[in-house]
Amino acid sequence: MSKLYPVQEIGSLAKPRWRTKGLTQPLSSKDLVEAEEWAQRLGIPDFQDRAKQLLAAQEQNNRVRELLELSTIYGLRLFEQTGLDNVGVGGEQQRVEMYEHVIRGVEGMRVLGHVQSFDYKYFNKAVAESKIHRKHPIYLQEFLDVKKNAKGELNVPITGPYTLVDWSFSGHYSGGRTGLSLKKQKQEAKREFLLDFVEQVIRPEIRDLVDAGAEWIQIDEPAITTHPEPADMDLFVEGWNETVRGFNCKFSDHTCYPSEIGYKVLAQYAPKLDKCTHLALEFANRDGTSLGIDAKHREGYRDLEYFIQNGYDGEFGVGVVHVHDFSGHVPSGSGKEAGRNILESPELVRDRLLYAAEVVGDPAKIWANPDCGLRTRTWEVTLAKLISTVKGAELAREATQ
Amino acid sequence: MSPKAQLGGIYPRSEQLIELTRSYDRSKTDLDTVKRHVETDTLELVKLQDDSGFETFSDGAFAWQDQLRPVVESLDGVTTGTRYDRWFDTNTFYKKPTIAGKIGVHAFEPKNFIRTDLLPRTKGWKVTLPGPYTFSELSENLNYTSQSDLLSDIAAAEHEIIKRLKDAGVSRFQLSEPCLVYRPYREQALGRNELDNALAALRETVDGIQAKFSVHTYFGDATTILPDLLKLPVDTIGIDLFETDYSKLKIETTKKLALGIIDGRESNAENPEWIAETATRVSKHIIGGDIVLVPNSDLKFVPRRVADVKARALADATRLFEEAR
Repeated sequence: MSKLYPVQEIGSLAKPRWRTKGLTQPLSSKDLVEAEEWAQRLGIPDFQDRAKQLLAAQEQNNRVRELLELSTIYGLRLFEQTGLDNVGVGGEQQRVEMYEHVIRGVEGMRVLGHVQSFDYKYFNKAVAESKIHRKHPIYLQEFLDVKKNAKGELNVPITGPYTLVDWSFSGHYSGGRTGLSLKKQKQEAKREFLLDFVEQVIRPEIRDLVDAGAEWIQIDEPAITTHPEPADMDLFVEGWNETVRGFNCKFSDHTCYPSEIGYKVLAQYAPKLDKCTHLALEFANRDGTSLGIDAKHREGYRDLEYFIQNGYDGEFGVGVVHVHDFSGHVPSGSGKEAGRNILESPELVRDRLLYAAEVVGDPAKIWANPDCGLRTRTWEVTLAKLISTVKGAELAREATQ
Repeated sequence: MSPKAQLGGIYPRSEQLIELTRSYDRSKTDLDTVKRHVETDTLELVKLQDDSGFETFSDGAFAWQDQLRPVVESLDGVTTGTRYDRWFDTNTFYKKPTIAGKIGVHAFEPKNFIRTDLLPRTKGWKVTLPGPYTFSELSENLNYTSQSDLLSDIAAAEHEIIKRLKDAGVSRFQLSEPCLVYRPYREQALGRNELDNALAALRETVDGIQAKFSVHTYFGDATTILPDLLKLPVDTIGIDLFETDYSKLKIETTKKLALGIIDGRESNAENPEWIAETATRVSKHIIGGDIVLVPNSDLKFVPRRVADVKARALADATRLFEEAR
């Protein structure tokens, strides 16, 4: 990208009620009141025609298709309205969530039931019951809808194979050889499972996306920093390099919320990731909220140094706004609290970007993004955070130039 | 040897309870309805343990949001904000405690820890708490400058909690100490001084309380610290067999070794024959002591129906072990 500090969205956006309800039951015009309000705000001129089609669609498949494309358009327009330079896939409106959306497209995987994530949040966890294969394209239709409707540049986030395997039960993949310790058997099972996921599911998916015109694929691998042991890191690198082998497009990694030494360890292995020219990382979550561009004020960005020390020479997507609930002090000039949110000021975003540029040593390598997807925030809060990010990037450009 | 089976920690919520809690989270179900179904889940687990021949009962801790929360909510000087941290290498999270002042215990209801009203009086009752070292490692300490002072105050607080729970009828306490064996999140190996502090805190926690205690390690290999753990004034030491290389161990002890022999992080239901055979193999490395068959960790990392199969297999394996003696 020619301009400094381009801004990108790297994850999912909250799904509106009408989108969620419409997946399972017919909608009434009352259900679309909220959609109409946002259509006016986001500039969706053909809303009335689309709403009529949606209400008239009696057949479930037709309704769902209309609904998914429409909610994707909303996501794209929302991102575009904030001035983002890269709009991803419009907030992943066509996905259940990052894990189950993929698993549903894999033959041989069976969802076993819910496991607690935290408090009253859960995720459906699956097991490999037999050798796995891709049942059908997983992200392709979403990408085609995005490509048709987007006005800006795109990247396609996909869930990485290491994370999919790590969050599943290996079942069929048992580690084979007897005589190994239980621990070594588990590690061998994980490798068999991972390499099959790469070959049978992820590579065919990337092939379809690239053939359809995708030029940038973001591989989400949040699980890797939860296993900062050499055996798992080597496995991650092996899986990554096999995943990207032979494809001619840009690849980036997004890994967030690491364990205490997670980024330090990832930094040692990042230079070994073939074709990985961009790392989108989370920092705002652990940064202070005072303004300032020195190490003391920007303690949350300290781990960037490890990537430079280890020789990673690609771009960094730097998390400059927090995506979860916030409780803490927000000094004057740094933003404000709004309910359970912090609305970071453009000045705070600016300082985070300038400090990141100083650590990396090259502002041309710095992109601005939220820490992760904003799906737990309302659209109002999302708009505010992204507008602030775009303004903060402008301020950082002015300060740099 | 005459092994018994025990459960410990948080047992997975049923799909019905999960649905209700999600509905409550969306303000579509009231809290009383959720609480009633917590009781249903508890009674189902009681029945499972009864039918399977368990002697010491866990209540499943279905209302616990994470392995630390009821302890945190009973303490002065410790708060939780909105920061969640990953629970070791699982895809589950806990609310990270912040230690902002001197730690003490305030008034609490024992039912926050265990539903004694739903457990049979003819059986022993077991509660699982985080050990003081693990509690300290998983918290953010903003108050103490000395690790030994921090550990000592956590131990004193847990000691107080345990005394009150014992008065409420609890007979066995499991102190879970995964941080003693799982440390990839730390740059340094566990040093002698730190281990001594952790062991001292465990001794302080149990000191003078007439109850049964187990110190349970999981998610890491316990071989190097096992000799130290076996000197603790507790009757049972737990190890994770999926992480611990027992092949070179020779353990002379009068204590019980709790073998974490069903894997709380994997859905494959270990069959009772395999469990009994593996327990027999491990028992050949133990001289003088006894064994207990347990899950390697909480079973909350697998869906409920998987956990139920695993729990029954554990009990069946104790019978097979006996028959094969």
